[in-house]
Amino acid sequence: MAEPTSKEIGLADFAVREHRSLWGDAWRRLISSNTARLGMGIVVLFLLSAVLSHLFWEYDPKTDLDYSLKLKPPNLFPTEEVASIHPFGTDKLGRDIFRRVVHGGWNSLRVGIVAVGISLTIGGLLGLLAGFYESMPLARIERFFLLGGIGLCLGGLSAWIAGQAFQALLFCALGVAATFLENLLAEKPTRPLLFAGLGLLLGGGPALLVSPYTAATGAVLGAIIGGILALPLGGPLFSNIIMRVMDIILAFPSILLAIAIVAFLGPGLDRAMIAIGFVGIPVYARLVRSTLLSVIQQEYILAAQSVGAGHGRILFRHIVPNSLSPVIVQATMGLASAILWAGALGFLGLGAIPPEPEWGAMLGDSYRFLTSGAWWAVLFPGLAIMLSVLGFNLLGDGLRDALDPRLRL
Amino acid sequence: MTRYIVRRLISLIPTVLGVTIVIFMFLRLIPGDPAVAMLGEHAARENVERIREQLGLNRPLFLDRDALEQGDIKGFFDSQYIRYLGRLARGNMGASIHRRIPIAEELKLRFPATVELALFSMTIAVLVGVPAGIVSAARRNSLLDGFSMIGSLIGVSMPIFWLGLMEIMLFAVMLHWFPIGGRLDHAIELEVVTNFVLIDSILAGNGAALVDGLKHLAMPALALATIPMAIIARMTRASVLDVLQEDYIRTAHAKGLRERVVLFRHALKNAFLPVITIIGLQTGTLLAGAILTETIFAWPGIGKWAYDAILGRDYPVVQGGTLLIAIVFVFVNLLVDLSYAFLDPRIHYE
Repeated sequence: MAEPTSKEIGLADFAVREHRSLWGDAWRRLISSNTARLGMGIVVLFLLSAVLSHLFWEYDPKTDLDYSLKLKPPNLFPTEEVASIHPFGTDKLGRDIFRRVVHGGWNSLRVGIVAVGISLTIGGLLGLLAGFYESMPLARIERFFLLGGIGLCLGGLSAWIAGQAFQALLFCALGVAATFLENLLAEKPTRPLLFAGLGLLLGGGPALLVSPYTAATGAVLGAIIGGILALPLGGPLFSNIIMRVMDIILAFPSILLAIAIVAFLGPGLDRAMIAIGFVGIPVYARLVRSTLLSVIQQEYILAAQSVGAGHGRILFRHIVPNSLSPVIVQATMGLASAILWAGALGFLGLGAIPPEPEWGAMLGDSYRFLTSGAWWAVLFPGLAIMLSVLGFNLLGDGLRDALDPRLRL
Repeated sequence: MTRYIVRRLISLIPTVLGVTIVIFMFLRLIPGDPAVAMLGEHAARENVERIREQLGLNRPLFLDRDALEQGDIKGFFDSQYIRYLGRLARGNMGASIHRRIPIAEELKLRFPATVELALFSMTIAVLVGVPAGIVSAARRNSLLDGFSMIGSLIGVSMPIFWLGLMEIMLFAVMLHWFPIGGRLDHAIELEVVTNFVLIDSILAGNGAALVDGLKHLAMPALALATIPMAIIARMTRASVLDVLQEDYIRTAHAKGLRERVVLFRHALKNAFLPVITIIGLQTGTLLAGAILTETIFAWPGIGKWAYDAILGRDYPVVQGGTLLIAIVFVFVNLLVDLSYAFLDPRIHYE
């Protein structure tokens, strides 16, 4: 058989193939999927209607009231009884539900976006630090902050008991000193003894001014703190502290925790954002930490280390860009669940304050009228929640397939 | 294995202590005085003070440094939190401030209600979700797969409180098939033994009570089952598809085994590990997160109880309820971890 010519195998075709970036590829995969396109369509529709109605369709919930139109069923054409058109009907105060659903989108979506922003920023940062220092030795400056911080926190206890705030600073200084003297008597039993003795003096000495009993307690406490500071504490400890705290938050059912936070802060849309955002923190912390732990084992991280890149550079130039995909996917799905939570809090009367339109609050407002047959007042706000959540979930699914081809089944 | 369990149990101690501190702190920080909540806004000052003293609210939160200054070591530790821990250690969770019923008594009534609802929902979710996921994976990209995956996406996107309301509208208000709420009709007499309506009615041989109990369970259980059902279906599908790509599945096909044998004998066993994990985690969530469903269907479980208590500043109830929920949650997760060792011989715990 004759050799095929270059024309036959189409050499020219792949010689001019344009450069494709990673994100360009992902985008192409994303828009080639029907479900992702559907999700994107729904999300864009909701976002646009929320923003546009907020900007251009005036609505004042405080004056919107018309008892003559109380609980009218949906009508698409003016009737004898109802002259105005209400495609979704009216609620118990005669307000047009369509209008309130559209305007409610601004509030509901805002809660979702801000809440995810909060959990992503705080949780992501914590996860990043926890994962990074679990697998990297601490630089000296970092040990300095870690031990200083531990000294400050533990010293705070002793300071509070004696009523002497400066004690916390003394222990902070002890922690810093332990960093600078890290080779002093290293691995000898005298090292913890030395620091325990110093702690005993710091905790007990100033407290003598208060009372002998306080001084005795302070001395015992100080000795313990000193002993802790003398240990060769490193990154795993730091990571452990963060993840333990995350475990504690995760041990609470999220809805209960969110309710408790709102009960503490008082109801309101901004409080609901904080509550939902706080509840989401451990999810992102865990995700980022586990992603980072797998990224950090790659050869390019070792290469970066070996050319002498600093911790900040390795973290933000090499690790963060390579851990983004799962975080983007989780954040999209997180938006969906944050909107659900916002609806739930609103439904329980802990979200938006009436008469402010918000989907969950509208449901909570109207469900008592279900038994008298006013289904439309409950159907449409709930449908809005479900559709917007579905949109974000579809988009998240599509993003996962697009960003991580390995996961593609 | 035993050592591993013991170590895991020990590592739970700081988490559980942390949980008690968080619960304790939160409730004390929430504005509003329970003594005032009990007596009303216009109560006399000395009465409020007396109640505060009775409830121990006049003690410091964690440690009493003034007592220490006086050399009173016992007084130093005599704080609200330490008292609370001491009572907990003796199994005394206190009594509801508003209703004066001991928490432990009330838990005996309410915990079974929540467990019954959660387990019944989980059964529905597993019975529907697992087969749906298997069929989807086996007939991948078929119409059936498409339906079940779109259905499950809608399921995870469902606000369950809204679904519950829609169920009430359709099945209770319009069709009168099911009752609106509660666990059992008032007209039906049933001797309470375990507080599980279904078990009690079977024990008593009371068919009418069983049917009525099931009718009351149907709607809340369906609402509560929606999200886990969808999650289980998706997880099962992904996991089975994953396993179907393994080499030994190709080998089994190459041996000429029938499709059904390959799927059920070879694939499913290995695909179930992540599914069991998700079932366990979801059960924990259901036990804990039934607040909305319980509120809508007036189900007398822990979730609604804790919610009412938070809003009513009923400290002991919130502490007891939330602590129980959190501990159950943590233990279910531990059980899930341990179940791996039994299900997958490749996993050993040292």
